[in-house]
Amino acid sequence: MKKVTSARISQLLFLALFLVLFLMTEYRGSDRIVAAVNGFFRADPLTASSTMLAVKAYLPLLLPGLIMLVAALFLGRFFCGWICPLGTILDLVTGRIRKVGALRALAGRAKYWLLLPLLAASLLGVNLAGLLDPIALLLRALTFFFHPLFGDTVRGGWRSLYGLVWERRDLLDPGYRLIRDYLLPFRETLYPLAFLSALLFMLILFLERYETRAWCRRLCPLGTLLGLVSRLGPLRRTPAKLCADCRACREHCPTSFDQDLLQTEECILCMECALHCPSRRVRFRFAGPRAQAGPVMERRVFLGGLLGGVVLARGFRFREPAAQAKLLRPPGVRDEEEFLKKCVRCGECMKVCLRSALYPALFQAGAEGLYTPLVVPRLGYCEYNCTLCGQVCPTGAIPDLATQEKQRQVIGKAVFDKNHCLPFAKRIDCIVCEEHCPIPGKAIRSERVELTGFDGAKRTVQQPYVVDELCNGCGICENVCPLEGKAAIEVFRVKDRTPLKPSSPAAPPPQDPYTDPYAGNS
Amino acid sequence: MERRQFIKILGMSSLFLHGWLRNLFAAQGPVVAVGQGTDHAGITRKTLAALGGMQRFVKPGQTVVVKPNIGWDRTPEYAATTNPLVVKAVVEECLKAGAKRVKVFDRTCNDPRRCYASSGIESALKGMKNVEVKHLEEERFQKVALNGKVLKEWELYGEALSADVYINLPVAKHHGLSRLTLGMKNVMGIMGGNRGSIHKNIDQALADINASFRPHLTLIDATRILTAHGPQGGNLADVKVLNQVIASTDIVAADAYATTLFGLKPADIAVTRTAYQRGLGEMNLDKMRIVRV
Ligand code: SF4
Ligand code: SF4
Repeated sequence: MKKVTSARISQLLFLALFLVLFLMTEYRGSDRIVAAVNGFFRADPLTASSTMLAVKAYLPLLLPGLIMLVAALFLGRFFCGWICPLGTILDLVTGRIRKVGALRALAGRAKYWLLLPLLAASLLGVNLAGLLDPIALLLRALTFFFHPLFGDTVRGGWRSLYGLVWERRDLLDPGYRLIRDYLLPFRETLYPLAFLSALLFMLILFLERYETRAWCRRLCPLGTLLGLVSRLGPLRRTPAKLCADCRACREHCPTSFDQDLLQTEECILCMECALHCPSRRVRFRFAGPRAQAGPVMERRVFLGGLLGGVVLARGFRFREPAAQAKLLRPPGVRDEEEFLKKCVRCGECMKVCLRSALYPALFQAGAEGLYTPLVVPRLGYCEYNCTLCGQVCPTGAIPDLATQEKQRQVIGKAVFDKNHCLPFAKRIDCIVCEEHCPIPGKAIRSERVELTGFDGAKRTVQQPYVVDELCNGCGICENVCPLEGKAAIEVFRVKDRTPLKPSSPAAPPPQDPYTDPYAGNS
Repeated sequence: MERRQFIKILGMSSLFLHGWLRNLFAAQGPVVAVGQGTDHAGITRKTLAALGGMQRFVKPGQTVVVKPNIGWDRTPEYAATTNPLVVKAVVEECLKAGAKRVKVFDRTCNDPRRCYASSGIESALKGMKNVEVKHLEEERFQKVALNGKVLKEWELYGEALSADVYINLPVAKHHGLSRLTLGMKNVMGIMGGNRGSIHKNIDQALADINASFRPHLTLIDATRILTAHGPQGGNLADVKVLNQVIASTDIVAADAYATTLFGLKPADIAVTRTAYQRGLGEMNLDKMRIVRV
């Protein structure tokens, strides 16, 4: 590792902050979660610009991102050299990776070919930038892969310890509790796309084989955006070229001196050159508008990028109709179109969801919905009193609602499958779904029916039904249905997601006096 | 088996040790103590005293499990979970009797962290020495041979099985299928696996488990009861404040008495009826000794 510089200290602090915020994105006994947990996304200029382009409106939540963008105009890509946790990780590992020389395929204008189509697609209402945003990439790799893996390993060890020493393990319990409460994910969830998320992250590390910060210089759309902006700014390094008598910068600079001329949009402001310059010539200072420093990009790239955006926006629209029926969005999301424009696929909501209800979409929402959150009730359900996903969503794609309001949001509607449901299909009692339905007036009710069982015996069986006006699609019924595999009650998507009426259950159907001894005298 | 003998011996020894207890046990049938009053901790203590005090159950140095109902993410006033004041009073009595450690837990239906927090039980017991409010750990479930009518075996929670004393602390409330959730149904909180699947035969299944796993003491919280939309309620209109607690060593008797609070007869509840028929306890009110305090 290099010697300790201010940039390095800042990098480590921000990396630590990133990890702490990551761990804090978890329910810890309070209904509200510290607002700062999504800070990195809200201050992410790429998130801000792509989302605002997509919705074509100003989103106050993302103001920090805009401020960052303006700051980049004056200070260049300092974000990359001083803040970005992914960049920091690359700096930490790159020393151990032997270099084989730059990849020619990436050397040219590749990064513009990535950034421009993403922004153009945003303009057309398809916000895909989050797929390649470095913060999102890192957070998803942590959320879907590394953290669950870590949790699994530690818990597995703790479990096998029980197998070895049984109750004597309790002696170590206080220590384990600390780890469990602060470091491990509370629940053990396996995510689809975990592998892909880890793979992308590994690929970025792998690129370090070719040159230092290869991802940052050659691909990262956030870095590219910052670089583009910084070209216009007044901050300048002098001398702009390698000095004929020294050329040491080439050794010290991690990013922008593989040619003789400083590549402004690749300079990450790490200041290594200034610190190590033998003759102390290097200065960073504000001057007038920048002298011409090579072409920004050819018209070819620009037009091609726009066209790429059109292709992305239009070509990714296809959706499998059958998959739509179960396309359940987090509570409070009412309009799919608007949701897709705002969701930056950061993974925060899936990280925080305390009942593992939310999973990244594979292709259920079409290619354009990759990594957007879906409720999968058979795996987890939306907890009635919980509002966490709305609180951590950095763009407001999932609205942050008060508990009572959130409880009335419609995720979908539950539907019975009488061919599976025990009281119908087997004529025996069950109603686990009714028991768990959290709606105070019960969206699932049951009627007592006299039946002849298939064994020939007469009996009363309680047959359930759903009261549509009360069901908010939380999915706990589908989750707890004791049948194996497919549940006999399932939540399906509905177009009209108007929130339920406040409290006073809409015209309750006649109460079964048998189940309610106090009906009528309250 | 051991547990049952243990209780018998305790009961016997107290017969000889405390003269006044003799009168109590002289009458036929189980004793059901019923406390009434707005001081919920106070009535809990008095009710326990009427049964002979906690020292009848807990001996110094023992490990006690107290199993309230913490099953749902509801605050105490909704009567879906056991009153934290009652839980705390019971735990304190255990400590007073010399318990080495008191463990409090339940297998929840909603998110356990939310349930523990919302129920008020976690915070009520916070900071108490030698008291652990624990989340369940999957690996501690053990297969237990029940050899029952419908359940041959089931996974039960190890810490409940290994406790010296097990105190059953349900809240009395409505249930859509079994009509009421009382002492015997509270045992579901230590069951592992797919609990919902026992619903198809719930009275026999519960009798099977209760026949092999017997709490030393059942104390039913009826300080406020949920009369409809159980077991999790959520509507204050369904809650009735009764300011009562019911305690007995006979789980069936405790349940039978609590049933009357809902305006029902013990025989209306299939779970109680089945348990009675299978000899797990008394359900006829006139065959119990009901002690009001
Ligand atoms: S989906 Fe439901 S349970 Fe999950 S975080 Fe959102 S509100 Fe909470
Ligand atoms: S989805 Fe099921 S459990 Fe949730 S409100 Fe609807 S019926 Fe009740």
